[in-house]
Formats: sequence, structure tokens, C-alpha cells
Amino acid sequence: MRSIAVLHLILVALLLLLPGCRSREQNTHDEETVVVGIPADISTLNPIFVQEVTEGEITELIYPMLVEAMFDTTVGVLRFRPSLAHSWEFRNSDRDIVFHLRPGVLWSDSLPVTARDVCFTYELYGDATIGSIRQSALDGLQRADDGSIDIRRSIEVPDDSTVIFHFRRAYAGQLFDAGLPIVPTHIFGSVPRSGLRTHPSNRKPVGAGPFALESWKPMQELVLVSNPLSRLPGPAVLKRLVLRILPDNLSRLQELKAGRIDLVGGLEPLDVAGIRSSAPSVNIVSISERQYFFVGWNNIDGTAYSASKGASVIPHSLFGSATVRRALTYAINRKEMLATLLGNWGKEATGPISPLFRWARNDTLTPWPYDPAMASKLLAAEGWIDRNGDGIREKGGRPFSFSLILPAGDQFYLDIANLVQRQLREVGVEAHIQPVDGSVFFPTLMEKKYDACVAGFEIPLQIQMDDFWNSDLRRYPFNIVSFRNRRVDGILASAKRTVHEVETGPLWKEFQAILHQEQPCTFLFWSSRLVGVNRRVQGAKIGVLGTLYHAWEWHTGKSTTQ
Amino acid sequence: MAAQIAKRLLVAILLVLGVVTIAFVLVHVLPGDAAAHLLSPSLSPEVLARLRAAYGLDKPFYVQYGLWLWSFVRGDLGFSFSQQRAVVDVLADAVPYTILLACTAIVLELLLGTLLALMAVRRQNGLVDKVVSLGGMVMYTLPTFWIAILLVSVFSYGLGLFPSAQAHSIGADRWGPFPYALDFVSHLILPALAIALPGSAGIARFLRTNLLKAYRQEYVLAAQSLGLSESRIFRSYAFPNAVLPVVTILGLEFGALLSGALVVETVFAWPGMGRLAVTAILARDYPLVLGCATISGIGVVGANLLADIVASIVDPRLHGEV
Repeated sequence: MRSIAVLHLILVALLLLLPGCRSREQNTHDEETVVVGIPADISTLNPIFVQEVTEGEITELIYPMLVEAMFDTTVGVLRFRPSLAHSWEFRNSDRDIVFHLRPGVLWSDSLPVTARDVCFTYELYGDATIGSIRQSALDGLQRADDGSIDIRRSIEVPDDSTVIFHFRRAYAGQLFDAGLPIVPTHIFGSVPRSGLRTHPSNRKPVGAGPFALESWKPMQELVLVSNPLSRLPGPAVLKRLVLRILPDNLSRLQELKAGRIDLVGGLEPLDVAGIRSSAPSVNIVSISERQYFFVGWNNIDGTAYSASKGASVIPHSLFGSATVRRALTYAINRKEMLATLLGNWGKEATGPISPLFRWARNDTLTPWPYDPAMASKLLAAEGWIDRNGDGIREKGGRPFSFSLILPAGDQFYLDIANLVQRQLREVGVEAHIQPVDGSVFFPTLMEKKYDACVAGFEIPLQIQMDDFWNSDLRRYPFNIVSFRNRRVDGILASAKRTVHEVETGPLWKEFQAILHQEQPCTFLFWSSRLVGVNRRVQGAKIGVLGTLYHAWEWHTGKSTTQ
Repeated sequence: MAAQIAKRLLVAILLVLGVVTIAFVLVHVLPGDAAAHLLSPSLSPEVLARLRAAYGLDKPFYVQYGLWLWSFVRGDLGFSFSQQRAVVDVLADAVPYTILLACTAIVLELLLGTLLALMAVRRQNGLVDKVVSLGGMVMYTLPTFWIAILLVSVFSYGLGLFPSAQAHSIGADRWGPFPYALDFVSHLILPALAIALPGSAGIARFLRTNLLKAYRQEYVLAAQSLGLSESRIFRSYAFPNAVLPVVTILGLEFGALLSGALVVETVFAWPGMGRLAVTAILARDYPLVLGCATISGIGVVGANLLADIVASIVDPRLHGEV
């Protein structure tokens, strides 16, 4: 028995120790490689079918686009630089844009990129049977009699190096909508539309951007390599960009601190102090003011609305009054919330228009202060009084008690809800926290089957308020708080008709003033997205346009690890 | 024995069908569907409706089941909405990693468990025996995620002996076959240990008790009185009788591991079935959920059949019985 035990011991020792005898160098990566940690795998590298932000950022490194967006942070507007198109001009009262393609641009299989690729790609984006979520980018193009996009009338290809977009009218987002990633006709042109979603090229893309795909190990990593044929603007400086999939937050953080990963987005504010003290090689970059959080008060009776399939729109018995909503805003201490949850990595919000848009910001508005006494006064004025001494206000026999829904499984939302619940309780309002499964959270909000919610939105880089604030609740179900205001509808319609974005400034300022007064929801704060970057990564322009923005310019200095 | 195996296989097929049917019902009972994840202001209700139709989500529940079953019978497990490719391809990527992790964990569990049991039996009621018993109890009750985090903190971030995540180092596929294999094994050890340690504690306690019982049997006393060597007695008499129940337990556990070990896979970012199944459920990707349930069902049934076959080989009294 002793010899058997010894044999076992040797076997176990060999199994455990031998693989550990590897070169420590195998724990690091070479100097021409940057490793980015991402929380989940992507599903496609075809921009037609992209659904997630990370997929979008990666496809923009691989595929050509007519124009490249950049955000002017001093003013707060999107500007566009030539990319696949080396120049363009507006014609026909700005309804048409003529793009001149850069000569000599090749796909990674050495075939030329032509104007026909642009036309074909937009045909795919606009094809309702394909169901691209980017279809809305074609809303401004010409329509057929049945309402579908008429590509033949919308996009003209006079020759291989010229493409003309014919919009129905001029509007501020034309260049943005014409700047979607382009796919090669010679790869997808002969594929039946029903087979596009499963085509192998969705996972082995042929692009013309600064990066090409080297390998993709599902649930493990994607490796992008510099594309030597690229002229948009040129091959990436880095030899390799590795996107390593690490679902656990703690793992990503530890890998960043250990220097095995160079860049991680979505850091928690509470992690920052720890990173700064234990990993001085890691720089923290803050992407500000693209996401805001709010407590949404359903302005209408959701039960009546959903039972009547949208025919019945009556004010909510609790939140139908703007005075009550303002009172609830007074009762919520947003400063405390910001300090507690975000460590002040954020800013109090007064409305849904980001401070990024300096030209549209209404600087005369300040957040309603935290004032429980004023909250109580306003609630009492509206008839909400605690008559029976149980600590909860009533009116007409109905207590001020409601369900506060939030996405289940997200600790951040739960923390917000807990703070809101506690603070409202102090003014005699009772909120019951009710986590709701993620896959039904937004459908519940859109069907108005709720009282109040904690939610957040990430904003696009051009102001688009129609979907969230238009009174036509059936057409715009993302107006989740069911706010209805005729003047706001007028502002939204006028803004849509204005060609130059900055000219809509006065309209948006008035819009913010109305929302500030009406408080359809209590705007809490704009949060900053925190990205940890190892100092060896140089030339990174991480900002509002994303973590991988201009990744082709990244280069590395000496490897710095713990 | 062949007839018995055939009968077991038939039962196994019915069992797997039952499992996937239950899984289908459960996924459809959950609120929401795969298309709900695509909701955004930029997606018009018409496009969303078309997507639902493209995924077959607009059809009645029983029609979806019938269509899926018909495809299943023809060997087509359908299309994964969340992964945007065939379920068979998705599973083909994950299953090998799960099998390797499960096999390694089981082997480590058996080796460690046997080692601890032998040490305890050799020094019965001594300090070693007490340490093994107490230590085993502690290890058995610790949560798996705690063990996993502890292992990675000490052996990876602390001592730098093993990698902390994933199945390969960056660029490993460019190193050559042997360094690649060694790199893979080095990534496999900590996740396998995280699964094996609590299990080995249980095996050790169980095997210790069984070995002590076996050594008190008359056939062992007879063998000792005949002057047979200790190792021969252990090998031919005590151990085969003591290990039989362990084989059954390991068979059950192996089957369960083939469904994936979610916690360990998440901590170590191991690309196995556990993470895949949970992601599929959360995304309401029912073809992929059913694919995972199929593999899981086959795994459990197959592992148990294998355990029974091994048991019938180890124990001559069970020859011909499966």
C-alpha cells in the first residue's frame, strides 16, 4: 500500500507541477500586440447583422466607410473626415450628396472597392427581409409606393468611383447615415438573402480597413492583425490587436493589474482607488456623459393603456401630476447617490440632453435641490397626506405606494432603487422594489405595464429625442414614461426639419426647460464610463466615440507589468 | 451483455428526448424571447416582427417544437439566434473543452481522493487520519467559487505558477505542438483542481470507510493468513471491493460535469458548456438551450452507462450485467 501511495503522490505532483514549469515569458505578450479585455463574445463580424456595441466597434476597424466620424468636444458636434470617399459635395438644395471614392482602395483579397459595393451594401441594410437593426439609417432615403426603401432611386452609381445619395429632404444626420460600414459585393452578391445571416464570411470577413481578422476562437479571443493592403487610412501600426473574452469583472481587473491585459472598459468607480495604488502602470480614462440614469414615473395609467391596446390614455393616479413628480424629485438626493454609487465619477442630470452638446445645453437650468420639506409641502398641496399615521401618505383612500421595477441581476440599478426607496420613505411615499428579468424589462416599459422604473439610456452622438418624447405613444413606444406635451411635439418636428444641427440649439434649450418643469422622470445623473489602459499603449484616443476608436494609431512603448 | 447495452441505449434515447422536451417547455415558459434582446429605438416594430418570423418565434409553441424535433431527428440542431450560426458548430467549439475539463477533474479527483484515503487508512486514528478527515470536511463544504478564486489568487496572481484565465496563452497557436499542448494543460490545471478538490475530499472519506470495512472482511483475513503480500491484498481484494461505489459516484459526477461547470468556467473564462448554456438561457436562444440539453442528456446517460460497464469489469460478480 505504501508503494501505491507513493506512486499516487508522484503522479499528482507531476500533473500539478510540470505544467507550471513554463517560461514566465509565456505570461506576457509581445511588444507589438495590445490586448483588450471584453466581457462577452460577439456573434458576427458582418456589419449588416451587428447588434452589440463591441461588434460595431470591431467591424468599423475591418470594413471601409465612406466617411469617418469625429466628435468636436469644444462645440459638441459630430464632424466627418474623408475615408473611403476622399471628397464629397452637396447638391440639389442639400438633398443629394455626391461622394468621390478614393482610388486604389482594395479589399483584403486584393479586389478593388467600388461604388457598386456601397450601393449593394445599402440595399442589404434597407432590405426588410434581412432585418438589420441599422435599417433606420435609411429612413431619409427615397421610398417606393409601398413604403419600402427604393434603392434604385436612392443611390445612384454613375461610375465605379462615384456614388450619389438622393435623400428625400436635407437633414442634419445625412453624412452619419451615409457612413455605415460597406461589405463586398463579390462575397455576398450571389448569396440568397435567406442565407446571408449564416454565411461563413460573417466570421471570416473580407474588409478594407486598417485591421483584418487573423483568428476567432469562440468564447476565447479574437485576433486582429494589421492589414497591409489598407489605405483607410493605412495599415494599423500595431501588429496585433487581441480581444480577450473574460466574463468575470474581477478577472478582467486582475488581468489588467497584472499587465496581461492592456485595456479594460467598464471599470467600477470603486476599483479606481485600488488600481491607482496597486497598478501605477494603468491609466484611468473617463468617457463622460454618454449615459444617463433616471427614475421613470409612468405619466399615464398603464393598466388602462395596455388593456385598451393604446386607445385609453388617462393620467396615472400617482404620477399624472407634474407637481407630484417635482415633489418626488425634491425628495431624492441625487448628490448623495452620485457620491455613494459613482464616487463622483459623474454629474447630476437636469434632462436627457447630454452636457457634451454644448451648443444645445441650457445652462440656465440647475438641478432641483434635495429638499424633503419642499417635497412634503408639494405632496400635501396635491392632497397626499398621512391621515392614519402609518407613515404613508394617502389620497381618497389610496396610499402612495407603488412598484419600482428595474432590470434583475444588476447591482447598480438595485443600489439606485434602494436609495430611492429609502429617501422616498422619508417623505411618506412607499416604493416596492421589483426586479424584472432583463428580457422582459423593456417590453414591460414599452407596453406601459408598470408604475415606476429605474432605467438608463446611452445616447447617440446626434441629438435624437423623437423616439423618447413624442406624444404618439403607439408610434414611439420608447417614450416609456408616456410623456405628452404638444409644445414638445412641435419642437421635435421643427428640429427634424432643420438641416444644420447647431441651428436647433434654441429649440433644445426650450425642450429642456419644459422637461425640467414637468419632470416626466427624475433625471439622476450622467455617468462616466471608466477605461483602464496600460501606459505602454500609446496614441489611444479613447473617448465618446468608443474604446477602440482609431485603434489603428495605437502603438506600444516598453512593456510595463507588475 | 450486448443485448443489455442495446436496451440501455434505447432507454437513453427516450431519456434524452424527455430532457430536451422539458427544456423546451421551460425556456418557453420563461417570459420574453430572443427578439426582445434586440429592442431599441432604431429597430422598428415591423423589422422586429420580421426578425421574429425569421427565427420562427411567431409560430405557436407546439409548431416550434415539432419543427425543432423534425430537424433534430435529421441531425440538425437548428440555428443559434445569439451566436448567429448553426447550433452544431457552437457546440462543436465548446464540447471538447468541457470533456477535457471534466475528464481531468475526474482523474484528479480519483487520484487525490485515493491518495488521501490511503494515507488515512495507513495511519488510522492517527494525526494524518484526523487531518485528512477534518480537512476533507472543510474542503467539501467550501463553495466552489471560493475555492476557484483562492486557487487563482494564490497560484496565478500570487506565485505566478499557472495562468489565470482562458484555455490558451495569447499567441500559443504559433509556438509548435508540444509547447502548445503544455500551455493548454497549464491552463487546465487550476479549473480542474477547483472542481476536483471538494470532490476528492468526499471520495477520500468514502473510500477510507470502505477500505477499512474491506480489511475487516474474512477473505482479506484469509489472504493475510496465506501470507500474501500487502500490496497484493490491497490490489486484488481490498481496493476492488472498496472502489466499486466510488465508480458509480464518479460516473454520476462525470455526467453532471458534462453539462458544464458554470462557476469555474466563469472565474477561469473556460470556454465550456456551462457558460454557453447559461448565456443561451438568458438570451432565450432556445435552439442552443436544446442543443446544450441534448449534449447534457447524452453525457449523463453515457457516463452512467460507462460507470456501469467499468463496475462490471472491476467486480467479477457483475460480469454480464450492465
